[in-house]
Amino acid sequence: MSRLPVADRGTVRRALLDMISRHRRAVGVVLTLHSAAAVAGLAPPWLLGTIVDRVTAGAGVATVDRLALAIAGCVLVSALLSRYAQYAGHRFGERAVAELREEFVSRTLGLPVSVVERAGSGDLATRSSVDVSTVGTTVRDVVPTIVIATVQLTLLFGAVFLLHPLLGLAALAGLPSIVAVTRWYLRRASSAYLTEGAAAAELTETLTTTAEGARTVEALRLADERVRHGTTRITLVWRARRATLALRTVFFSVVEASYPLPVAMVLLVGGYLLTRDMVSLGAVVAAALYLQQAIDPLDRLLQWTEQAQRGFASYARVLGVGMVAPEPPGTTASSRGERLVVRGARFSYSDGPDVLHGIDLEVQPGERLAVVGPSGAGKSTLARLLAGIDAPRQGVVSIGGCPVTDLDPAERRRRIALVTQEHHVFIGSVRDNLSFAAPDATDDQMRAALLTVGAEWFAELPDDLDTQLGDGARQLGAAEAQQLALARLVLADPHTLILDEATAALDPSTARRTERALAAVLVGRTVIAIAHRLNTAHDADRVAVLADGRITEIGSHDELVAAGGAYAALWRSWHTRVDER
Amino acid sequence: MRYLWWLVRCQPWRVLRGSLLGTAWMIGLAARPYLIARAVDDGLRARDTRALALWVAAIVVAGVGLSYLGIMRHRTMTFIREDAKARSAEVLLRHLSRIGAALPRRVGAGEVSTIGGSDIDWTAQVLTLTGPGVGAVVAYGVIAVVLWSISPMLALCVLLGVPVVGLVVGPLLRRLERAESVYRQQQGALTARSGDIVAGLRVLAGVGGRDLFTRRYAARSQELRAEGYRVGAVNSWIDAATVAIPGLFLAAVVWLTARMAVTGDVTIGELVAVYGYVATLIVPVWFLLEGSHQLIRGRVAARRIADLLTVTPDDVGGPGRRWPDAVPEPRRPDAVPEPRRPGGLAVPDGPADLHDPVTGLTVRAGRLTGVAADDPAEALALADRLGRYVVSGVTWGGVPLRDVALDEVRARILVADHDSYLFAGTLRDILRAGADDDEERIGAALRTASAQDVVDALPAGLDTPIDARARTLSGGQRQRLRLARALHGEPEVLILIDPTSAVDAHTEARIADRLHSARAGRTTVLIATSPLLLGRADLVAHLNGGRITATGSHADLLDRDPAYRHLVARGSEEAYR
Repeated sequence: MSRLPVADRGTVRRALLDMISRHRRAVGVVLTLHSAAAVAGLAPPWLLGTIVDRVTAGAGVATVDRLALAIAGCVLVSALLSRYAQYAGHRFGERAVAELREEFVSRTLGLPVSVVERAGSGDLATRSSVDVSTVGTTVRDVVPTIVIATVQLTLLFGAVFLLHPLLGLAALAGLPSIVAVTRWYLRRASSAYLTEGAAAAELTETLTTTAEGARTVEALRLADERVRHGTTRITLVWRARRATLALRTVFFSVVEASYPLPVAMVLLVGGYLLTRDMVSLGAVVAAALYLQQAIDPLDRLLQWTEQAQRGFASYARVLGVGMVAPEPPGTTASSRGERLVVRGARFSYSDGPDVLHGIDLEVQPGERLAVVGPSGAGKSTLARLLAGIDAPRQGVVSIGGCPVTDLDPAERRRRIALVTQEHHVFIGSVRDNLSFAAPDATDDQMRAALLTVGAEWFAELPDDLDTQLGDGARQLGAAEAQQLALARLVLADPHTLILDEATAALDPSTARRTERALAAVLVGRTVIAIAHRLNTAHDADRVAVLADGRITEIGSHDELVAAGGAYAALWRSWHTRVDER
Repeated sequence: MRYLWWLVRCQPWRVLRGSLLGTAWMIGLAARPYLIARAVDDGLRARDTRALALWVAAIVVAGVGLSYLGIMRHRTMTFIREDAKARSAEVLLRHLSRIGAALPRRVGAGEVSTIGGSDIDWTAQVLTLTGPGVGAVVAYGVIAVVLWSISPMLALCVLLGVPVVGLVVGPLLRRLERAESVYRQQQGALTARSGDIVAGLRVLAGVGGRDLFTRRYAARSQELRAEGYRVGAVNSWIDAATVAIPGLFLAAVVWLTARMAVTGDVTIGELVAVYGYVATLIVPVWFLLEGSHQLIRGRVAARRIADLLTVTPDDVGGPGRRWPDAVPEPRRPDAVPEPRRPGGLAVPDGPADLHDPVTGLTVRAGRLTGVAADDPAEALALADRLGRYVVSGVTWGGVPLRDVALDEVRARILVADHDSYLFAGTLRDILRAGADDDEERIGAALRTASAQDVVDALPAGLDTPIDARARTLSGGQRQRLRLARALHGEPEVLILIDPTSAVDAHTEARIADRLHSARAGRTTVLIATSPLLLGRADLVAHLNGGRITATGSHADLLDRDPAYRHLVARGSEEAYR
């Protein structure tokens, strides 16, 4: 199983900058409001310093009242400003996250199917749920917090410098150790959190698949096995989390021990300056209070650094999906003719051995070709090559003289449809499940399409085309789902159909009904039917026998039977069983 | 809420340690303002360098001590949260494993994914309250006491301030809960949708429609964004309140203290200290507000977990399971207690005939019975009855099947669904399906299912990891693996549903022969219409219009029953044209 890629740091950074520059104005508003809020927040210690000085100088109650009222005013203003700053930040975050998840889904939809199949759907599913929402939290909450904290810190330290430059210098004590340990931590944190995320993803997958296969768990009494499997995953998650905790232990100890250093230094230096009458007592008190106040944003900054790391890690995983080369858009918009030609096609999955060893095949428009052969001979792989889902490792598959993989994917799907036995009913209405095959289809056309494929169950649906299907709503059976898929096909109206055991999952009588209905759809189209049932082959114009990734026989049914090869033997074995009396 | 409490009770000592450390740490936070005040009063104001140096040293030492308390608190709380997460995951896992066939009828897979993905985390987050939460309350009290020693009026102000905070923030939090739960629901639905898209990628790749799905998802995402705006509007007010309320509080306290300083009731150092104490109070107040925030989210999450945990396994009308940790059966008040049969009577000791009164089918013990059904839905319903996935009047050796303990039924009768689930794991794990790991028996099952080539084609043979649903394998390969897995369990009664519909005729013929000898002497029901399979059955029953209309050998039925001949010979005479 090859996991989907994860973006490197540079890519993530560029993507972040890109996001910010796209929302320049919103970011500007958020920054301005937060800065204003932070300035208003700076006033209380300074006002207190003033109170200390005035009271020491013998000021009266009226002065104190005025200054205290000013403090209250500053608090209110600061809170109001930060509320609007936060709301603006929240809106920005929601917008950015919506963009992000939409882009993610759009990228996911653009993924070559083969990549997704190999990476496992769990990985992609976790990225779409956990990671997208972690990035969401990061953008919505963490980034604003970091921004606020940075603004506040800058202002606080700036204020100490303004009180007296020497006090400012003293305030910087403690920063070296914080910077050093932060660098140490950040170097290690990213990979540790990625490991943690991957472990969590596997645990989620275990839970989800256990739910999906609940009936099988009961039938095969796999409960203990599932619990054992899951417990291993839980242990792995625990271990990964312990590793990240160890990192934090070092980090936080050093950081927190460094917090009082600036205050201590400012008091010492302040004491020295005070004896020389270079500063007032109020100034030293204000400086100490500012630094005491700086602990909170500093703490938040460092605490959220870790969260930001987490978000960064998730973002890397989200972006990783976009790093898979999407299905190439195709160099040719259209091709002339519908003649399907395969020349010397070889194919292997990843680095495995070749599954197809040089296939040569020509299919005329309107021809019906049946491909038969034992399981594992490479029939489905051939179907995928013909449909352009995979590109041959060597050789070419072309339609009307143009390689199918060069066609624009949307265009290709309009022309060549691949129907497999795999069926999926999407969450949504019956209409939602049909319309994507032909966006312009009217309701009547959809109903007609359902009738064509013999979907009699449709008449019993409570809300006609609006009946909701899938998860939590009405569940369709395998046969019904396959009929829905075939109705899609009727609507899509492609000129070439590749049926990869399209009716194999159906029970025989439904399959028979569906096949009869399908026959009407097949008229006038090129049909390549991958079949394990010989009756399909019997009726085809030509039959290709595929064995071990090679076409061993090709010709009409009668020719092949007359030739007395493997096909003839198969045909006889099927027939005698039926006719033996 | 009960669920949250359970998570706490599972780790009492750790929680206690967390509370103590949390309390010590928060009180420690208040030490610094005191030390700074002493440094100001005794050192700076008195111009006493020695005293200043002493207090400054104390500040540094206190800082180191505080850092130790802080990190120990963090470690303990992390362990508490991780313990809760692991425990939730384990409980869910056990429960999900146990509910069985009833689960898909009650809960969507997307919901399980949300619960597993994030609800567990939200729930664990609530436990943070046990440490800093408790600490915040205690620290609050301690600071009030210290203030009392400076001025009772100030202390009174603090003690009255707390309810004010609660009164102002309470309604906001309730509004947040409503907005939040709608948001979370929509978010869950959106997540389910993206999961749905991931699951249906193959279909979309085959027929097209990616653009439409992108647009449809985007529309939903925009709805969620709008909901997020609403939540944000409330959220930001709450956050502003967490800043403003302690801040105003601070201003009021400073004002009172400054007036006292004017009149000389308190010293300047005490004025600074009071400022520091109240500023320190922001930490516990913040923790309490944040905590109630988390509590809201966590309760929603915990409720979802608890709801999932209340989904009970279906006992299908009979005596339940004998799993050691079974959930007590929900008792309907109107149910008349049925007289229990003595356990010994209710269980056929060995192989026995199964009889289904609905169709009139009798499955002979030790024989391979083929069932050819005109309507596949009837065949599936029959399999569900024989395997007791529904309540029915099926008898087993004369004993009503529903009176046999369900886990005994599951242990002895296996219904091998056509689409039974393949879990992720090595091929060996998949095949042995919880049973022993006997190379020979696995080999035998693979041979019978004619699936050795599947193993041979994989890079590491039986030890090759396969992902869930074995998507990388072809339909025929998967089907043969399922068959091998069912055979490997060697159940007393095996009900196979269309086990070879996706394999080619040649392989099917081979499987038919091998199946017959592999299951010799054991009860097997074969639901299929393939002449290759039915031809190897000891006895074939034709299920037509809900009843068994004919029974006999395959050849017999071909002769006697034209409808049967028509059914099994489908296609070879009547072409698809």
